[in-house]
Amino acid sequence: MKALEIKDLSYHKNLKTILERVNLTLEAGKIVALVGANGAGKTSLMRVIAGLAKQYKGGVEVCGEADEDRRKQYIAMTDSLSAFRDSRKIKDVADFYRLVYPDFDDKQFADILEFMNLNEDERLGSLSKGMKEKLIIALVFSRKAKLYLLDEPFSGVDAMSRKKIIKSMLLWKPEEATLVISDHVLDEIAPVIDEVVLIKKHSVLEQRSAEEIRAEHESIEEWYEGFYEGEE
Amino acid sequence: MKFKDNLPIYLQIEDYIYLQIAQGKLQAGEKLPSVRALALELTVNANTVQRALREMTAKGYIFTKRGEGNFVTTDEGHLEEMKSKLLKQELAAFVSRMEKLGVERESLTGLLASYLDDTREE
Repeated sequence: MKALEIKDLSYHKNLKTILERVNLTLEAGKIVALVGANGAGKTSLMRVIAGLAKQYKGGVEVCGEADEDRRKQYIAMTDSLSAFRDSRKIKDVADFYRLVYPDFDDKQFADILEFMNLNEDERLGSLSKGMKEKLIIALVFSRKAKLYLLDEPFSGVDAMSRKKIIKSMLLWKPEEATLVISDHVLDEIAPVIDEVVLIKKHSVLEQRSAEEIRAEHESIEEWYEGFYEGEE
Repeated sequence: MKFKDNLPIYLQIEDYIYLQIAQGKLQAGEKLPSVRALALELTVNANTVQRALREMTAKGYIFTKRGEGNFVTTDEGHLEEMKSKLLKQELAAFVSRMEKLGVERESLTGLLASYLDDTREE
């Protein structure tokens, strides 16, 4: 069963090439790291998959569904929460989610908040970067999706919070759902991923099984850095 | 538990379970934690735990009861085998470290015997 199938995807914005001839297939149930330098196109790729960026060419199917509006029901993507004012409480954000997403599960949200040591009465403005990221993860996993897209969930997050976020992924990802995590470093997520997809030069340069890389006695980080040697 | 990053994790999970069994933390015939519980405990992917358990099942070290979960074998021969696998790995690591220090394989037993002699408790 395929969670995602992208065929010959190209995406241009203001005459600039963002993505070029991307082909990518992800199986259901996998945890996948989407890596690449800043500006390589990771976020754009996620936005195209999620149906947020529309002016693209090529095919994108999520769980066999190509129609943008209909494939949205299968996808939960992290939201930076930048549309919410600092004075808003966590529970206000949850109210919004409940309204917009019919698959939002209150019980699950309460459970994840508790796991993350967050209180629904806290205001967004009082949250540290790590706490805010935990909230974003709690919101995304409170939805019952087939494909979860986490856009750089670890940037600016301290080590303890990163561990907590990784554990929450293992706890709350539905078994048959696919999880895509974008990042430009791979340190802590390496042991939890099935596959790594490398974006370079506006396209998918490599897609490898994590265990396969390690079987060649190479760490995933070494493998990844190998693609950027001599470019510093 | 910290995993080596340049060795397949499913192999390291197998070793981890062998160790639990060798140390008596998991007894012969005892039920293993669920795949999800192991994945959380070790902070690894559930698919990787699944693979480790599949490999161990194929070797006869654990067995599955339908609807109940995975259990440690009660077969003495297999239990012995797991332990000797771990011992062999420890010895291989020891020998390779000694070789890096310039110790010849031939002088290892002598060195070890005199060390054990020196540190013997009365």
